[in-house]
Amino acid sequence: MNLKELYQEIILEHGKNPRNLRKTEDFNRNAKGNNPLCGDNVHVYLKLNGQKIVEDISFEGSGCAISMASASIMTDLIKGKNEHEAKEIVEDFLGMIKENPELKSENLDEDEKTKLMCLSGVKQYPMRVKCATLSWHTLVSAFDERKEEVKTEN
Amino acid sequence: MNINQIKKEFPIFDEKIQNNDLVYLDSANSSQKPKVVVDRINEFYTKQFSNVGRSVHYLAVAATNLYENTRTSVQKYINAKDKNEIVFTKGATEALNLVANTLGQSYLQEGDEVLITELEHHSNYVPWHFLRKSKNIKINFAEINEEGEITLEEIEKKITPKTRLISITHLSNVTGAILPVKEITQLAHSKGIIVVVDGCQGAPHLKLDMQELDCDFYAISCHKMYGPTGLGVLYGKKKWLEELPPYQGGGGMINEVKKDRISYGELPNKYEAGTMATAQVIAFDQSIKFLESIGIENVMKHEAELVEYGQELLQKNNSVKLIGNPKNKGGVLSFTIEGVHPHDIATILDEDGVAIRAGHHCCQILHDKLNIPASARASVGIYNTKEDLDQLNESIKNCKKIFNL
Ligand SMILES: Cc1ncc(COP(=O)(O)O)c(C=O)c1O
Repeated sequence: MNLKELYQEIILEHGKNPRNLRKTEDFNRNAKGNNPLCGDNVHVYLKLNGQKIVEDISFEGSGCAISMASASIMTDLIKGKNEHEAKEIVEDFLGMIKENPELKSENLDEDEKTKLMCLSGVKQYPMRVKCATLSWHTLVSAFDERKEEVKTEN
Repeated sequence: MNINQIKKEFPIFDEKIQNNDLVYLDSANSSQKPKVVVDRINEFYTKQFSNVGRSVHYLAVAATNLYENTRTSVQKYINAKDKNEIVFTKGATEALNLVANTLGQSYLQEGDEVLITELEHHSNYVPWHFLRKSKNIKINFAEINEEGEITLEEIEKKITPKTRLISITHLSNVTGAILPVKEITQLAHSKGIIVVVDGCQGAPHLKLDMQELDCDFYAISCHKMYGPTGLGVLYGKKKWLEELPPYQGGGGMINEVKKDRISYGELPNKYEAGTMATAQVIAFDQSIKFLESIGIENVMKHEAELVEYGQELLQKNNSVKLIGNPKNKGGVLSFTIEGVHPHDIATILDEDGVAIRAGHHCCQILHDKLNIPASARASVGIYNTKEDLDQLNESIKNCKKIFNL
């Protein structure tokens, strides 16, 4: 276990100053998620254009450094990707957080992968995995226009 | 009283937790278990096991006696008038559900009001909410003051002519406030209002005297009282337990069962349907003996010293904001740190072997009121020392370091 690995500079920085922490006024997709055990909650807003490309993405919510940083990094990476690419990135991220040693997605460049790998320290803290994954599950839910709130159980 | 000696009675403190000595500050959540309790469970299953109250063979009779012995011990420990006022449940949650359910069946009517407080644990709110849904009763909330207390005056203010029941915690599991239960009960009874007490945090840490408190019901959680999980106690005044309908139906709680009619058993069987947590009940006798051997006055004195010490330490630590400052306070220190979320605090403290709880501690109403999504909570038990609180304080400093504050 290594706290330094969990709380890397980039995580702390995103946790403190999350990107896209706002509400896209002209969103056309959105979904809510919450961690009943922790009380963390997130609301993801998407603006998709006709080609299903994410023109804008934002989120509102509150939570620990891990969940805020994860949502912040996610929104940064997803902007400009289309729905198919975005969902593939989510799959890759969830796989990495659970078991895979690295990211495989062809829809992420090396810089993006490096940034996302900063969250890999969470693997050693099973109780905290759901903090990192909540916003990602919620993003999928927004794409799929699911009405019910996402509840993460790891 | 030698705390290090007492600590030796808890085998868990011989363990290394991720290479650290355990600094256990989560007793409000659940306490650790002394060896006598663990051994008793083992001994019962190994040498004495049988189901209780059903068979006439030797082991069954012996087990039944052991089971009933604990009931008598609990009765004496909380100074209840009658042994049959002690009902075993699966926890305090079930005890409170039993009370709400049976009062809902036969006592509370549409439009009646139940007064609870903003300090309540979800298990002393949700069961009443069920009645709000099913019977259209109304729930009112007594509000906390600046110090995180519920005063007698506030209760008096919130009582209306329709209030029929007051259900309150004895000791808040977040602010640590000890409520004036005796005075509230006197006031309530003078107006014909029933009083239910969630005694989860009171029972392990305060002197209990049901005849003096005079409340109508008192719920206890055994796993917070150095006892086994899966077990709670409901104290209820005999007249209520006799008058109210049964809660669950099944074996053990019946008198006679025919195709066209069923009659129910007498107390205490009436409320103990099915096979109970037999081993846990029998082992719980050891928890009571353990507490008696120390003496509740000594427990209270030790924990009061710890809380005062911890409070002073954390107050000096100026990034820490303590939640509530009640005059009459039990062994709970809840806090927030500016710039560090409680879950991050808990993870960082855990690295040093310091076990605390982070979250809303099943008190969302209170956290909403305080306008915070979550808090960190350190809570003490009989085995804690001032050194544990020093370590807590040091590890809190580490949070600031890691977060570059
Ligand atoms: C104040 C309070 N009430 C009720 C409960 C629930 O008790 P149990 O775990 O025995 O059901 C708890 C414990 O979490 C508590 O702290």
